[in-house]
Amino acid sequence: MSDTLLDIDGYSLDIATFDGPLHVLKDINLTVRRGDTLGIVGESGSGKTVLVRSVMGIGPKNSDVKAGTITFDGQDITRLSDKGWAKIRGVRISMIFQDPMTYLNPLFSIGRQISDVIAAHERAAGEGVSPKSARRHRTEELLDQVGLPNPADLFDQYPHQLSGGMRQRVLIAMALAGKPDLLIADEPTTALDVTVQAQVLDLIKSLVKKLNLTVVMISHDIGAIATIASRCAVMYKGEIVEQGETNDILGNPQHDYTRQLLAAVPDIEAKPARLMAAEAASEAPSKPTKLLEGMNLRKVYKTRAGGEFTAVNDISLAVNTGEIFGVVGESGSGKSTLARMLLRLVDPTAGDIIFEGQNISGIAGEPLRKIRQHMQFVFQNPHSALNGRHTIGDAIGEPLRIQRTMNRRDINARTEALLDIVQLPRNFKYRYPHELSGGQKQRVCIARAIALNPRLLILDEPTSALDISVQAQVLDFLQEVRKELNLTYVFISHDLAVIRQICDRTIVMKRGDIVEQGDTEQIFLHPAEDYTKALIESGRVTSRAANMRA
Amino acid sequence: MLSFTLRKLLTVAGTMLGIAVLTFVITNIAPGDPARLVAGPNATEDMVETIRSEYGLDRPIVEQFVIYMKDLMTGDFGTSIVSTRPVLDELLRYAPATIELVLVAMLLGIVVGVPLGMLSAVYKDGPIDHVTRILSISGVALPAFWFGILMQLYFSVELGWLPVSGRLPLVARPPDMVTGSLLIDSLISGNFKTFNSALSYIILPAIVLSFPCLASILRVNRAEMIEVLQSDYIVAARAHGISSRRIVAIYALKNALLPTLAMIGLRFGWMLGSTVLVETVFDWPGIGLYAVSSALASDFKPVIGVTLLIGFLFIIANTLVDLAYAWIDPRLRRA
Repeated sequence: MSDTLLDIDGYSLDIATFDGPLHVLKDINLTVRRGDTLGIVGESGSGKTVLVRSVMGIGPKNSDVKAGTITFDGQDITRLSDKGWAKIRGVRISMIFQDPMTYLNPLFSIGRQISDVIAAHERAAGEGVSPKSARRHRTEELLDQVGLPNPADLFDQYPHQLSGGMRQRVLIAMALAGKPDLLIADEPTTALDVTVQAQVLDLIKSLVKKLNLTVVMISHDIGAIATIASRCAVMYKGEIVEQGETNDILGNPQHDYTRQLLAAVPDIEAKPARLMAAEAASEAPSKPTKLLEGMNLRKVYKTRAGGEFTAVNDISLAVNTGEIFGVVGESGSGKSTLARMLLRLVDPTAGDIIFEGQNISGIAGEPLRKIRQHMQFVFQNPHSALNGRHTIGDAIGEPLRIQRTMNRRDINARTEALLDIVQLPRNFKYRYPHELSGGQKQRVCIARAIALNPRLLILDEPTSALDISVQAQVLDFLQEVRKELNLTYVFISHDLAVIRQICDRTIVMKRGDIVEQGDTEQIFLHPAEDYTKALIESGRVTSRAANMRA
Repeated sequence: MLSFTLRKLLTVAGTMLGIAVLTFVITNIAPGDPARLVAGPNATEDMVETIRSEYGLDRPIVEQFVIYMKDLMTGDFGTSIVSTRPVLDELLRYAPATIELVLVAMLLGIVVGVPLGMLSAVYKDGPIDHVTRILSISGVALPAFWFGILMQLYFSVELGWLPVSGRLPLVARPPDMVTGSLLIDSLISGNFKTFNSALSYIILPAIVLSFPCLASILRVNRAEMIEVLQSDYIVAARAHGISSRRIVAIYALKNALLPTLAMIGLRFGWMLGSTVLVETVFDWPGIGLYAVSSALASDFKPVIGVTLLIGFLFIIANTLVDLAYAWIDPRLRRA
């Protein structure tokens, strides 16, 4: 038995598109030895997912291998037939995926899905399918192995009844069903909450040890890579620009791109630049005036079962003019509901919203429309926040048209001015969203939000759908715009390093309640609640990994 | 699931009530004097008045409504003027033929449409896909009466394979009535000769009636399959080593079936309406033909009866679709 399990040699892959072939992978050379844990780091579009899917023979449809080979355990699998794959896919190489919700079939029970995988493997091995009860037993064993409680009950449950972390464990159990030699993990923690991420990474780590797995994990999260992988490769635009021991690469990056990537990860330990600037200027803070207040806000949703679900439970807050007000919490903590209530996009069940001294919780129609000029929203995902059939110019000009105070020429001029402000070329107004990158799209969304000269911007995770290097740019840019236009931000994020960098005051939310609030630095340096501590600690993992170099 | 079913049944009752009210309102706001229509063009003023009081049309509208609803509750649909028999009796006589025709057509649409849709999704842009595209476009484009006559000309007159019209040959003795469906009843009584004969009579009208339905089921199922086959969980199923055939036939089909089911429910109602055309062309003794002949004779009670019956069947079909939805999709089952 040779020591090399997976060998990718000079592998190049094109994808046929309407505009001709796209060189997605260029001359990839990668060797994975038995027992290795290899991390592949790269941003979206770097080709890392295409690469690992090619290893499993589930690459994109119109792809064409230009050169090179992939060898698994001595067997050339570059152009394997479906029959050949049956003995490998899921059995010897298996895979776990990014978003455990969309990768589980919603219409089949957990138990059915796993025992079907077991049956498929038995069929592929030609040994005949074992009886249902035996497969059930094995399924429950697998569920137990990945640390899920009550496997017997879980067997008959459906994906939508489980939490994100549990679903990811189910997917891992499925991947382990064939007792694979090689486990490929495609961004296994990206779609999970920070505290759950740590648990899933721990699980993978312990399984590697216990089952003697070889792992290839791809991620854009350097912290996750550092936790799992002993070796790592950095991908950029279809090429591997650097590979070696993880510690060497993180501690002493050779390639420019790697350096940029590491530098872009916000350092949770660093004292924010804004504080240092403030201290240097030593300006006495003027007495803050309240721009927006929420008083005893509550939002209760009716569930389908006829019960009630409290998304936001009696929250009061005050946002001062000119500050950046942070809201931190994991998914389900109610932070998005809170933000939408503040803007009156969602009606509160109880409580008042006071904007510039005026109670806006009861108003509707024209007065509400007038107030909305002054408060705008920037959404999380710029890819879905822009209408694909409207040009950028249409998108930015839309609020101006809706408020009906300007003629067409003025709207055009204002649109160009806004493009200037968000530092995009003026001719972008003729383009369509799909022609722009994620960072550019988010700038367009910001331009649209500031079109009416609002006083308040509510930003709901404005950088979490973006690559790390783009995130840094957008954050810098947001701070510039704020200074220039004298804006107040409510900034929602799950990323504590980002919050520390830019927010003056912060509230930490958990299950609809505020667990901690106050000055951001105070919260960071002296967190009072265990929940806050856990959030900060999980943020540290990534931050430390990326900032370990001298 | 049980409480879900009960809740659904309550909605059915509510909707039925709505249909009954609506039918009453429409017949009352429709222009024309029903009494005069019934009496005919040569009737004297006295005759019209007699008929008016006989039918209760001279009473206040609210009272008429109360009587109408009370009659409906007790199963009294009024009396047909032409046949002078209770409408309910006639509906019960004609409905089984229509239901049999619609169900056979529906079955044909599903059994042919779903697999063809699946195949054309799997072999998208291949020869099968092109053939089914022509099939489905002509399915929605060809008018039923024209297509029906064409089929009669070719298969009955030209080739002589199948009978032109009717439900059974005049000389044949129909089997004892159990379900009202000739196909099922003849099987129950073990009379295979009648079964074959009934089958040969139903083939052409069923094909004509099902063709547009088949076409839309095919298209919806194809579009859904294409989308589902690109979804993440299908990629995951492949990665876990499940065979392509199993993925398509079990995993993807179940997900794609949901919108197709909704389509089937809608098409069922549409088919019931289309029987008016198809039954006329094929002289099929069902409620469609009954409605047409009654309408032509200005016999309005049967028309109301047929409307209510079709509405009722449509609601039943859609309730079954809803239940099937919940059965397939665990997310819809309420706790």
